[in-house]
Amino acid sequence: MRLLLIEDDELLGEGLRDFLSGEGHRVDWCRSLHEATAYRGEPYDALLVDWQLPDGSGLAWLRARRSARDSTPALMLTARDLLSDRVQGLDSGADDYLVKPFAPEELSARLRAVCRRSAGGAASRLSFGRVEVDLTARSAWLAGQRIELTGREWSILEALVLRAGRIVPKADLERLVLGFEAELASNAIEVHVSGLRRKLGFDLVETVRGLGYRIAAQA
Amino acid sequence: MKSGLPSIRTRVTRALLGWSVLWTLSVSLAVCLAVQQEIDELLDDTLLAAAQVLDASLPTPSETSAVAGTPKETNEATTPAPSGRFTWQVVEYSPSSGARILLASPLAPTHPLRTTPSTGFADVPAWRVFGTHLAGGTHLLYVAQSQDERREAKIEVALSAALATLAIALLAHLWLRARLRQELLPLEHLAERLARHDPLILGATLGAAERAELRPVHAAIDALTDRLARRLAHERAFTAHAAHSLRTPLAGIDAQLAVALRECPAQLQPRLQRVRSAAARLQRVVTALLTLFRSGVDLRRQPLDLASLVGRLPIEGLSITVEASQTLSADGDLLAAALLNLFDNALRNGASHVIVSTPASAALRVHDDGPGVSAAQRGELQEAIAAQAYEGHTGLGLMLADLVARAHGGRLSLPEVDRGFAAELRLAQA
Repeated sequence: MRLLLIEDDELLGEGLRDFLSGEGHRVDWCRSLHEATAYRGEPYDALLVDWQLPDGSGLAWLRARRSARDSTPALMLTARDLLSDRVQGLDSGADDYLVKPFAPEELSARLRAVCRRSAGGAASRLSFGRVEVDLTARSAWLAGQRIELTGREWSILEALVLRAGRIVPKADLERLVLGFEAELASNAIEVHVSGLRRKLGFDLVETVRGLGYRIAAQA
Repeated sequence: MKSGLPSIRTRVTRALLGWSVLWTLSVSLAVCLAVQQEIDELLDDTLLAAAQVLDASLPTPSETSAVAGTPKETNEATTPAPSGRFTWQVVEYSPSSGARILLASPLAPTHPLRTTPSTGFADVPAWRVFGTHLAGGTHLLYVAQSQDERREAKIEVALSAALATLAIALLAHLWLRARLRQELLPLEHLAERLARHDPLILGATLGAAERAELRPVHAAIDALTDRLARRLAHERAFTAHAAHSLRTPLAGIDAQLAVALRECPAQLQPRLQRVRSAAARLQRVVTALLTLFRSGVDLRRQPLDLASLVGRLPIEGLSITVEASQTLSADGDLLAAALLNLFDNALRNGASHVIVSTPASAALRVHDDGPGVSAAQRGELQEAIAAQAYEGHTGLGLMLADLVARAHGGRLSLPEVDRGFAAELRLAQA
């Protein structure tokens, strides 16, 4: 998944970035809201936002994004543990709320859960015809047979599964999968989608000509 | 109000009752003394007046002598009507025969009221006598009134006065009691207002005092409330800052350790894992300390699924069995902090298994399989908890558990168990 992490604490920010990167996610880490403006318009699978930032409130920033009809799943990371704070955080558009200190493993699990819910399924394993995808295990099966995927192929599959039923523009898919490296490899997506089709069947990923790619919603 | 404390109403009522009795007795005594004197004078005046009337209406001394020997039949038409209490005699004195009654009222004594000629007032046995010379003669007229009659009159007057005083005192007492109750009502109203008063709201006051005497009390409470609200606001701000300053680096340490564990060589992993466990314990302590800051404030009771609550607690190295037969109503965050620290206690004291149970609807027991403590130690711990003398006696775990129980209106107890150590949080019913 491509994640935007806004956290001003160096120790925590770096730790989370490295931990989540180690789990196969692509993490863009900003230390302030001002820094985050550089990432405006970038597609993300989820946002990880600290409440108290040096140049403003992460909560207000998230509320503004929600007002702008941005429905990217968001997790609020904060040291504020009062019930009223949690209620306020969730009411402001956060999909989940994690009180510091937390284990990065828990953050990762919640992230997957939030993204699954956002994709319309609560279960870890999702079915798309003969293909099954387990977002937690980062694995895919075709007719019950486990299929080995490369990192890029998995990233494309994950991005499309999390947006099942919706068209994902090629540019967005490039950003989600390759991040800022997308500009360096213009045909990388086509290559990896082609690989996916070979391994999981040609009817899984649909090309919507001129618009992008789509995986049909779960049956 | 059966608190054993002195009651203003009872004390004032008793004082009023005492003073009422004293006042009644004093007034009655004063009235008796004054009335006795006046009645004596009045009755003496009556005797004097009667003597004057008789003097004018009785026969002259020569006529009187003529009728001597038949005193009971003389001239009754012209003399005052006889009375058992009031009588008169006309007595003649001579050196040869002594005193001789010439005339007398029908019920007068048969002996002369005075054996020697005497004028004026005098008390003789059973009679109050007034003597006077008959006009123009040497005979003496004695007018007398029985002492019993006079005593009876005095007693009647004194009794009437005493009863009237007593009635007034009784009425005054009842009225004052009712008035006192009425005047003490503002104190009850003040207590009701205080019960509804929320000191956490900055600027909140008790409102106008109902009595001038209560103004200083209102002012003192308002000032206290204001100080308390500011102090709480200050502490909340501090807690928020402290929470941010402590929790964020702790989360950072854990994240860094998680990455390091993943990346480090296999031989370093156990050491790093120990460091991470210590960091996790530090997190629990910090969470507990921050919880302590707000225990007793912002209590938010809700029905709790104990198994779910325990399942969410980050504790490693301890197997936990939840035997929750009762649904608890408690503040989930506070209870989680208390449980986490009790588990941590158990772990550090060599326990490997803990049973969490609900022996009653408002009680939560944590029973571990560690070595436990001796009966004497348990007694000392229990006493320290009861007196809230935690320092030097209990660890953070028991202290926090007790504070959390007290925030719910209960307290922590350490029940006797066959094996291991048990702590029971008694949470008062919502």
